Amino acid sequence: MSKSTIRYSGRTRARAIKTFLGQFLGYGGAQLGLLCLVFFLVTAAMPNILVGPLQTAINATGDFLAPPSGQHLLGTDEVGRDVLNLVVHGARISLTIALLATVISLVVGTTVGMTAGYFGRWVDVWLMRLTDFFFVMPSFVLALVITPVVLEVMGRGREILGFRPSLFVILVVIGMTSWAFVARVVRSQTLSLKERTFVDRARVAGSSNFSIMVRHILPNLVPQIAANGALVVAGAIYVETSLSFLGLGDPLQPSWGTLLSLAQRAGAASAGAWWYLGAPGVCVLTVSLSFVLIGNALDDTFNPRRRVIP
Amino acid sequence: MIDSSQHKGSLLEVDGLSVDYGLKGVSSRAIDRISFELRAGEAVGLVGESGSGKTTTAMAIAGLLSPNARISSGEVRYRGNRLPIDHDAAMRPHRWSETSVVFQGAMNALNPVHRIVKQIAEPCMLKLGMSRGEANARAKELLELVGIPADRGAAYPHELSGGMRQRVMIAMALACRPSLIIGDEPTTALDVITQAQILKLLGELRSRLNIALILITHDLSVVAECCDRVMIMYSGRIVEDGTVAEIFAQPKHPYTRLLIESIPNPASGKKIIRPIPGDPPNLVNRPSGCAFHPRCPSAMGICATELPSLDKFGQGRVACHLHRSSQHDKVAAHA
Amino acid sequence: MSRRIGRILLRAVITLVMVAILNFGLFRVIPGDPASLLLGGARTSVTDEQIEAQRQNWGLDRPLFPDQALDYLSATLQGDLGYSFKFRGRHVADLILERLPATIVLVGLAQFIAILCGVMLGVYAGWRRGGAVDHAATGVSLALYSTPSFWLGMLLVVIFSTALGWLPGYGAYSPGANVGSLDLALDYLRHLALPVTAVALGLIGQYVVVARAAMSDVVTEDYMVTARAKGLTGGQMLMRHAFRNAMLPVVTLITLNLGYVVAGAITVEAVFAWPGIGGLTVEALNARDYPVLQGIFLLLGVSIVMANLIADLAYGLLDPRVRQ
Ligand SMILES: Nc1ncnc2c1ncn2[C@@H]1O[C@H](COP(=O)(O)OP(=O)(O)OP(=O)(O)O)[C@@H](O)[C@H]1O
Ligand code: SF4
Ligand SMILES: [Mg+2]
Repeated sequence: MSKSTIRYSGRTRARAIKTFLGQFLGYGGAQLGLLCLVFFLVTAAMPNILVGPLQTAINATGDFLAPPSGQHLLGTDEVGRDVLNLVVHGARISLTIALLATVISLVVGTTVGMTAGYFGRWVDVWLMRLTDFFFVMPSFVLALVITPVVLEVMGRGREILGFRPSLFVILVVIGMTSWAFVARVVRSQTLSLKERTFVDRARVAGSSNFSIMVRHILPNLVPQIAANGALVVAGAIYVETSLSFLGLGDPLQPSWGTLLSLAQRAGAASAGAWWYLGAPGVCVLTVSLSFVLIGNALDDTFNPRRRVIP
Repeated sequence: MIDSSQHKGSLLEVDGLSVDYGLKGVSSRAIDRISFELRAGEAVGLVGESGSGKTTTAMAIAGLLSPNARISSGEVRYRGNRLPIDHDAAMRPHRWSETSVVFQGAMNALNPVHRIVKQIAEPCMLKLGMSRGEANARAKELLELVGIPADRGAAYPHELSGGMRQRVMIAMALACRPSLIIGDEPTTALDVITQAQILKLLGELRSRLNIALILITHDLSVVAECCDRVMIMYSGRIVEDGTVAEIFAQPKHPYTRLLIESIPNPASGKKIIRPIPGDPPNLVNRPSGCAFHPRCPSAMGICATELPSLDKFGQGRVACHLHRSSQHDKVAAHA
Repeated sequence: MSRRIGRILLRAVITLVMVAILNFGLFRVIPGDPASLLLGGARTSVTDEQIEAQRQNWGLDRPLFPDQALDYLSATLQGDLGYSFKFRGRHVADLILERLPATIVLVGLAQFIAILCGVMLGVYAGWRRGGAVDHAATGVSLALYSTPSFWLGMLLVVIFSTALGWLPGYGAYSPGANVGSLDLALDYLRHLALPVTAVALGLIGQYVVVARAAMSDVVTEDYMVTARAKGLTGGQMLMRHAFRNAMLPVVTLITLNLGYVVAGAITVEAVFAWPGIGGLTVEALNARDYPVLQGIFLLLGVSIVMANLIADLAYGLLDPRVRQ
């Protein structure tokens, strides 16, 4: 379990971070995951510089469903767009959705879990009942019905915060339906933290509940939240890809899942256009594997529950 | 029942046994050239502070060392035959039929998902070839023997108290009528009264059934109650070995003396327990010479440079430069 | 014993009620008159009388709560899920029941294969941790775990259907197959092969990961040392002492991953045009056929709650410690 530090001095903290990094980076999985992740993040950060603006059916230049060549490294799609171009732009969309959904999920999960654990009694009972529901009902199933209904209510026209409405709805819905596991972990951790003396001391010193939670409990939850966060991202990518594949994405801002959906509709599989469906799939696989590997390594670093014997 | 009287020699002979643990590329010697003998039916205590190598010694004898352990010297003989303690499959016939173990903390040593009667009956079926019915009947007999009503056999481990679970462990250890039981701190987690009851039971049963016992503990008073002999370990070596009466009356090794003095003795009105000053030694970097010398009140110049060998002294043995009989001036012959 | 079961049942009921509330609420939130939605949406031509009849029939002129909610509940309990937009006038319940068998065959078979292979492989990998099988199985499983099943399905089609031509990659029957013959059965199995493989592969990864982690925790337990001290062989230790204990976390974690099962099945059906619930879902999504979507949500919700219930009860059978 995490060390019960009250407040780090600058030097202790630096040393703690150094020890942590040393241990974390000692895992082969963490190295591989980080490497892939950095690659994709860089790609997602500057798609226009790397491959030019997103191609559309109108400004597409290639042949239809042409296999990879010197000109189109990953071939073309059914309207002649460059698959590399699509996949690089897809990285930006897929990663943004997954990361933002994770932020929402972590914020909701931490808030719910910390509140339930800290206040206990009926607050705990009811919040946990709510958590139970989201724990049992998979994010995918909830998102599958909530997304189209919300879109119907909102209309599918204008963009929200730079997202096409369906993407915005998908990311909010994924975030709002995938926090239950985080909430449970945070709650049980909070339960043990609040018994610690430093919390009592803060209470005696007159800190408000809110400031105790934010200043004293939250910092000690960071390891748990981080390890789970990485796994939540992997889950979010999975759900987003599946929903987009079923047609809930937006062709104007195609994520990897939407590209796979387009490939499916164009009959890429039966046409043998492996490059078209292969490229986005490999990206999904690589990115979510990276997050899983990083999450596992974080978990192993923070909770060395395995015995010393190999 | 095995009749041990026909074996004139020792039941168990441990000869120059050393065990190293490898951990992250570093190897550390947990026990160093341990030698002792055990007669059939004899009860010997193995005493020492935490990390002195008691469990390692016991597990080596039972052939149960963990995978990162390496036997780097010596051997163990049982009824005169060498035991294949580093060969898991070859040890199998010996296990439980000849040597059984009562582990510390029976909560974890019992399988949580099986009824206790099943766990006691298991070795009877597998090792003695009993049918399920016979084995269950024997398991119930054994439960009665350790003072648990037979109908409690249907209980699961978590439904029993700590003392009851330890009784179950003892019943299980007796299942195949072994000649040697190793108890590794069998009463550590229990309260004082239960502890006394369990030790009494263990002592009675083993002397009635004529089973040899190696009792591991860091509590000398436990040994006084149910052992004939005691061996004191320090930093992976036996430093003193003698009968209980002798050692309590006249401890020879300074470490033994300090251990005995640190037992709280209400009779003499001594309330303050005097802990032994200094830190336990580091195994990777064991002190040179006598490993106890940094903490020893009687340390001399030679102590830091020369390892005292474990020599016969009176009835027992002691490894200390203060007690060297003249014929052993040649240091550590079998180093 | 019964207290625990009572608590499990209560939790299941609460979850079911929440599913029902969500189902009811979502349905009312959609713009447009629910009555016309019930009749098949604005896209169909229905007369005002029909709408009015529906309104009264469904009690839509009454307050939302409790009257309408109770009506919804009683209709749902009687299996009346309203009418589809797309398949005009057809009962949602009928549509779902029609498609359900194909999905049950696909998911059931895939789950069976995945649990069997995944748990066995995971248990073995955890038992021999650090061995060659462990390294290979863990690597492949993590990759499979991170791969959407439908993409595996698309790859299978490219390889085994398009490139090699071994197996069909579309639908459940070849056109023109004789009804009722043995050929038909074989034809069905050949069509089933690729989708089942895709769903199963997606799940195997998880089961291996979970079973391996559970088993590697079990092998370090003290009772395993006891078993070894008793002179049991490796196989006996595994079967008598390790396996059942390792299954405890596996049972719990399998229900945690039900989302992957559902997502896997629905998307894979979409890839293979398998005539099951997944195909129906895609059609409903494309046609904005909300009643059908709501019906599917109800079906999934109830199935998931039931699966959790079964897992909770099974856990009690496996682990005596929770029974009291
Ligand atoms: N599996 C292992 N791997 C590495 N080192 C080990 C292992 N088991 C024991 N050791 C080390 O070997 C030394 C002796 O351990 P051992 O368990 O034999 O001591 P002990 O006398 O039984 O102590 P305690 O009273 O704490 O049970 C200790 O320093 C311990 O840290
Ligand atoms: S050998 Fe020396 S240091 Fe060691 S116990 Fe004896 S007197 Fe003390
Ligand atoms: Mg020990």
